[in-house]
Order: sequence, then structure tokens, then C-alpha cells
Amino acid sequence: MTAFLLLSFLVLLAIGVPVAIALGGASLLHVMAEDLSPHLVVIHRMVSGVDSFPLLAIPFFIMAGSLMNSAGITARIYDFALALVGWLRGGLGHVNVVGSVIFAGMSGTAVADAGGLGNIEIKAMRDHGYEVDFAVGITGASSTIGPIIPPSLPMVIYGVMANCSIGQLFAAGLLPGLLMAATMMAMVAWYAHVRGFRRDAAFAWARLAFTFRRAFLPLMTPVLLIGGMTSGLFTPTEAAIAATAYALVLGLFVYRTLSLRGLVRVSMETVETTAIILFIVAGASIFGYIITTTKVTDQVADLVLSVTREPWIVLLLVNIFLLVVGCFMETIAAITILVPVLLPLVTQVGVDPVHFGLIMVLNLMIGLLTPPVGMVLYILARVADISFERTTRACLPFLVPLVATLGIVTYWPGFVLLLPTYLYR
Amino acid sequence: MSKESAGPDLGDPLVGLADAPDPALSDYVPEDWAAFAFFWALAFVVFLQFFSRYVLNDSVAWTEEIARYLLICVCFVGGGMAVRKTSHIHVEFLYVYLPRVLARRLSLLVDLCRVAFLGYGTYLCWKITEIMQFQRMVVADLPMSLVFGTCTAGFAVMALRAVQVAVRHARAGESPLTRVNMEGRQQ
Repeated sequence: MTAFLLLSFLVLLAIGVPVAIALGGASLLHVMAEDLSPHLVVIHRMVSGVDSFPLLAIPFFIMAGSLMNSAGITARIYDFALALVGWLRGGLGHVNVVGSVIFAGMSGTAVADAGGLGNIEIKAMRDHGYEVDFAVGITGASSTIGPIIPPSLPMVIYGVMANCSIGQLFAAGLLPGLLMAATMMAMVAWYAHVRGFRRDAAFAWARLAFTFRRAFLPLMTPVLLIGGMTSGLFTPTEAAIAATAYALVLGLFVYRTLSLRGLVRVSMETVETTAIILFIVAGASIFGYIITTTKVTDQVADLVLSVTREPWIVLLLVNIFLLVVGCFMETIAAITILVPVLLPLVTQVGVDPVHFGLIMVLNLMIGLLTPPVGMVLYILARVADISFERTTRACLPFLVPLVATLGIVTYWPGFVLLLPTYLYR
Repeated sequence: MSKESAGPDLGDPLVGLADAPDPALSDYVPEDWAAFAFFWALAFVVFLQFFSRYVLNDSVAWTEEIARYLLICVCFVGGGMAVRKTSHIHVEFLYVYLPRVLARRLSLLVDLCRVAFLGYGTYLCWKITEIMQFQRMVVADLPMSLVFGTCTAGFAVMALRAVQVAVRHARAGESPLTRVNMEGRQQ
């Protein structure tokens, strides 16, 4: 009967039924066919799947990122990053990465980064005579830092599905996020060396001081958020509401760049995105419940473990699987569906759930840059006004630093777990 | 910019582009405003919890529970907006490779699946609401049927919008899915 469940889900998914309805629909068909429990179990489980305190962080992390973009705060961050590293060779490439790191500390999604900051960055790089492919590639790659450095929407979803501490997941993402930035900046430096990029701006203390003062209040957001969460002062949900309140105060009263109509638009977008994400979580909670009770997850684990019990091979297989899934599936959907399947497998070979959370999210971030389903690629194609195929090709070389980071994150648990262990355990 | 050059259209990005113009307030429909109200009520309640814990040093007991229920309401009532704009996340790459006739039929089938699930979901959710009339919330002294009743309304709005979307697609003979099909062929 589980074969029927999986098959009906895959068929519904493939023909283009929304992911959430494919999950709920397949579960409903399963319950109908089994005829053991009343049909309303499906809907009851869907509703109670959303009934979770950590999920409350989601709308506010979305809103904070959206407010930062709408209130012109992103532009201030960009200016600061330009004064900070713009004087290096290939300066705007470095600016791109540094800007993303700062923005990552206040936003939880890669698409907020690509659509907001990416817009400014690609325009600026074009104006300075960079090839559009280089600009698009580095913007796409650096936008994936967003959900690795806390706060992070995919990590919240992972934490809820895997039932593990979101605070620890956030702490685990900090070092790998900085490592991603370092590998990308190394790549920019290499490009600059090979192609002879020039410096884009002279370094000036006065300029740095000026842009720092102008960006000071937004720059405090990551400090407030990451500091507050890692010190245990805030829960992630509280940090999310604090960030939103802070961005609102900045946009409405300090900079006065946010109109009331703009606020309505941001709210409506937040509601829509929240509803989309949580509907998937709802569908996944009934679907996950059924596949767990039917022991299909145990069968998957047994199957893999009968081939090998070597942790590094299991991790390699899981990584390849996740990279393939990431090409075809959207991040949140992939996490909600795959956590119940993969987590029991990897924990059996001794992988820490927090460590695995980072492996999974990083894999799926790479998936944002791979066709045919890559959200960041779609956004960048639109922002840069080039074809989807060209965007894909432009991002391809920048997968190298990402995959390198993935290798380190996968096979060096001590690096990932350093901060969580130090702060929480 | 022509649509073909940007690849298959995925609908609007999840978070608005910085330079997108603000839509007029009249572009929103009633259920949008209902979801909007739930969202701001949620923001207020979560902020109240934050404020009472850190500033007053005395958490208001009911805030956590009510916040969770309001989040449920945002999800299911706000879903109406997502159904209307067909922005619930779906997989569409298959359509790039399908023959045109099959793409149109499957797209129609998808619309029917959506209507069927949301329609039956409305009925089931109403059944739960009836059962929950006598179940009280944990902290707040209110019936749980309030939460499930709102979800029923949300399901009903989603179902009705799904019908509307299905009719529109059937009349126009195209949907976001068939558009992927057309554009995939031009590339």
C-alpha cells in the first residue's frame, strides 16, 4: 500500500499539482484505500501540522527581509560594502559577497537576497564594465549564503520537521556561511588575477566612515539577531519579531522611506509567501506521518544499510541524492518531504541531526542554482534581463566554491558543530 | 523584456523586487484583507508576548497559544490569495517536454485535482469544526471550533478560487502550465 501512496504522490507532483495538494491528496487517497481511519484525519493532521511555535518565526523572517529591501536599507548596506572592499581588484565581485554576508544576517531566504541586493549589484557591475555573466554568477552564488548564515527559513523548517533545536542549527550555519564567503572571494580574486580586473574605487577612510555611519542602524540588525539568538537571550521566533519591528521603525520613522501603501504590499506578500510555505508544511505533516507509520522509512534505511554501513559512503550517497533532488524540487518542499526519510538513515550511521541539517540545506541551496528548477536562476534571469540558459551557464563555474564548501561541511562535523557545542552543549 | 528570454515563468518571486511598484489598494480582494487582519493580529500578539516577557517580566499566558492559532488562520485564509494567483509551489518542468495537446489536458486535470481536494477538504474541515464545538483551547477559554471554523472558511475560499481559476484556464485554453509548454518549445 505504501507503493500506492508514493506512486500517487509522484504522479500528482509530476503533472503539476501544487506540492502541498499532491502531499495531502496522496495521503487522502491512501486513507480512502486503506479504509481504516475517517477521512477527516487528513485535514486534522494538516491543520495541526502548522500548529507549532517555531513556525511562528517564518512570517517575520520573510517580512524583515522584504522590509529591508523595500525601505532602501539594502542600498545602504551595498554602499558600505563598496567602501569596505571595493578597492580590491575585482572590487565589485568582493562587494557582492560581503554585501550578501551582511544581508544574510538579517534575511532568511536566498530569493530575498537575489531579488533585492542582487538587483543593485548586477546593475552596478554592469555600469562598471563587468561582463554580465560574471556579475550574474557571483550574485547567484553569494545569494545562497543567505539561508546558511542565520537567520534561515529552511533551517527553521528543518528544525520543525527533524524536531531539533533551531538555535543550534543557526549556530551551526555561521562558520560554514563565512567559509562559503571566503571561498567565493578567493574565486573572485582568482578571476581578477586571470582577467586583469581593475580596482573599482579608491580606498578612503572618510568614505568608509561615512557609509558606516549611514548603514550603522541596519548593520546592527545581524548583531542584534545573531548575538541575541546565540547568547540565548532570544528564541528564533522572538528574534524574528524583533527584526521586523526594528526594520519597521527604520523604514517608517527613521528613514521614512516606507509608505503605508508599501507596508500593505509587503504585508500582503508576506501573507502570501507564509501561506505557500506553511501549506506545504501542512501537507508534509500528514504525508510524513503516514510514511513513518507504514515503516517505509525503515525499509529505505535498511536497504541502504544493507549495501554499506560506512558513514562516509552513506553521506556521499545522500549528498548525491540531495543534489539531484535539488535540481527538480523547491527547497522547502524537499526538506519537508525528505527529512522523515533520510534522517533515520543518517542517524543510524552516527550523523548528528544538526550536522545533517546543514548538509541538507547547503545541498538544496546549490539546487537553487541548477536547472530545470532553480528559483535564484529565474530571478536573476529576470533581474539581469538575459536568457535562462545564459544565467544557468553564468552560475555554473560558481558551483565550484559551493561544492567545495559542501565537501568540508559534510566530512568535517567538528567544524559545523564547533559553535553549537560551545554555545549549547 | 520578452517572456521567452527569461525562461519558464514561475510567477512572482517570493519576495518583491526592490523596484516593483506598489499595487493600488483596490487590487486586493476581501479574503486578502481577512488574511491581512489575521497577520497583523498575529504580529501584535507575538509582539505582546515579547514585550511582556522582556519589559514587564511577566509573560501573558495566552499569547503563545493564540499566536499559534492565528498562524494557522494566516496559512489557510492566506491560501486563497495563493490559489487565486496560482502561486502555490508546483513542479512544472515536465511540461517543457510534453506535446501540446497532452499539456492542455493535463493542465485541466491539475485544475480539477485542485478543486476536488480543496472542495472535499472544506467538507472534512467542517466536520472537524462540528466535533470541536465542545473542545476548549488549552489556556484561553474559547472553543477550538473557532480555529477549525476559520480553516473551513479558508478551505472554502481556496476551493471557490480554485473553481474560478479552473474556469478561467478552461475558457482561455491556457494556464501557467501550458505557458511553460509553449515557451519551452520556443527555446
